[in-house]
Amino acid sequence: MSMKIGFIGFGTMGQPMAEHLLKAGHELRVWSRRAASADFAVALGAVRCASVKDTAAGSEIVCTNVTGSADVEGLATELRAGFAPGATHLDFSTIAPGAARAIAARHRECGVDFVDAPVSGGGAGARNATLAIMWGGREELGTRLAPIFSVLGKSAVRIGEAGAGQVAKACNQMILVNLIEACAEAALLADAAGVDFRLVREAMLGGSAGSRALEVFGGRMATRDFAAGVEARLHHKDYALLMDEATRIGAPLPVAAAVWQQLNALMAAGRGRDDTSSLLRVLEGAARTRADG
Amino acid sequence: MNVGFIGLGLMGRPMALHLEKAGHTLHLWARRPESLAPFAAVNAKTYATPAQVAANAEVVIVMVADAPDVEKVCLGADGLAAGAALRTEAGLIVVDMSTINPNAARSIGLRLAEKGIAFVDAPVSGGEMGAINAALTIMVGGTPEAFEKVKPLLEKMGKSVTLIGASGAGQVAKACNQILTGVGVMAVAEAFNFAAKSGVDPAKVREALLGGFAYSKILENHGQRMLDRNFKPGFKAWMHQKDLRIVMEEAHRMGLMLPSAAATAQVFNAIVGSGMGENDSITALQLLEKMSTPEGK
Repeated sequence: MSMKIGFIGFGTMGQPMAEHLLKAGHELRVWSRRAASADFAVALGAVRCASVKDTAAGSEIVCTNVTGSADVEGLATELRAGFAPGATHLDFSTIAPGAARAIAARHRECGVDFVDAPVSGGGAGARNATLAIMWGGREELGTRLAPIFSVLGKSAVRIGEAGAGQVAKACNQMILVNLIEACAEAALLADAAGVDFRLVREAMLGGSAGSRALEVFGGRMATRDFAAGVEARLHHKDYALLMDEATRIGAPLPVAAAVWQQLNALMAAGRGRDDTSSLLRVLEGAARTRADG
Repeated sequence: MNVGFIGLGLMGRPMALHLEKAGHTLHLWARRPESLAPFAAVNAKTYATPAQVAANAEVVIVMVADAPDVEKVCLGADGLAAGAALRTEAGLIVVDMSTINPNAARSIGLRLAEKGIAFVDAPVSGGEMGAINAALTIMVGGTPEAFEKVKPLLEKMGKSVTLIGASGAGQVAKACNQILTGVGVMAVAEAFNFAAKSGVDPAKVREALLGGFAYSKILENHGQRMLDRNFKPGFKAWMHQKDLRIVMEEAHRMGLMLPSAAATAQVFNAIVGSGMGENDSITALQLLEKMSTPEGK
């Protein structure tokens, strides 16, 4: 069944996601700060809205997909001015769990549902509609959201109430980047011992240490292809959210804290727009085992 | 001098009383009215809003918990900035002695400057005992002119008052102080736990080390309290956790690796998460001991 869906945020993730919704036959209503960013959607039949408020006014569900907590908060305020009671705000951004809970509380006062649905899988996952979606919000919304989730990803798991999706995403990012750092340390160790990391990686992929991180990011390290991929600055941003939440609730995360510092060093070296596999180059900088950087 | 004082907690109360004893007139506002009780018998006037304090004082000292509190007192409705407009003479100086993020201090300073108010950040080290004994170490950020005006007041509360640099520089110094004390407490706790688990008396180790290159005030003072098993604050562990959060936020903002501080901050997360946050920060030793013992013992 076709739904009236608003969509805001057409970056690497948002653009292919909007395309999937259009191709699935949904009526898309779009708004963009820079109008050109939404041209592709209009060309595919989307309706261009005059404002954020206007996007909310005609939609049952509005999807947002932007960068930081402040961006989502800003949009949420403008959307509330246009939402009819009973509408749903579905946010795919990665933001602080606390920010998601606060937006949900303010929406609730207006009879609007907030669902945090951060995704994992990167640009390729968005293009191939193979994202892993982790969402938080009222259980009853599952039926309504299922047709949207099914055209965007290969899995959608309800974690709990609003904010719970962001907690799951924080766990996801922590495991992923901690493993990328582990791959980098393995690559450094192999190299320093005079062993070819490409072969080490190949051997390990079939064993207990096999992982997506070793496959994808370890692969980039093996071929020394540090072009993003995933821009390391985005993982760095995620660690600020993660570590802030850990401090708020008093959870000790010793390994994540150490990895966070390697990400800080990566930023200081000016590699924020390179792939996160550049964590290897941070280690090499400390070890001075290679001259080619 | 007419001195405003906002934030009359464990630290603020004795600090304000030192100023009154030195002959200054206090102008007070408190979020919780009961905080004003100790000032009933001294030379102090109380008000309903921070704005009224600003209207009646030449210098206002702020000593509250965190950046949002400072922001609210300074720039909120009925805040100090609103009161500055009611003043007959220009030249109000706000001295923030709370420990907050350096970047937040710079931002508050800029916004107060737009209203013609000078802002000085002057966080302290030395804890409650330092406040009671007027023996605080005070690290100041601000213009030399503002510093010269408030220095005589600061000297009534501390034994060491240093202008570090421009606005925010005091908070940077305080952040450095918290890196050294946080990592230092952990180092002493780890050394004592290592000695004890090796069957060696930590007291003897401390005594021997005090004469060598590993000497530090933390080994001397905090170390002694660890040996006495005296975990009463002092400086509460949750406050150290908060201060290390500020340090790590700034490190993240600048892209700066602080591996030891990051590891230490996680120990403080564990302390707070396990309900030991009200203890002194040397309770880190108890956490290490707990984690070096088989479960259930």
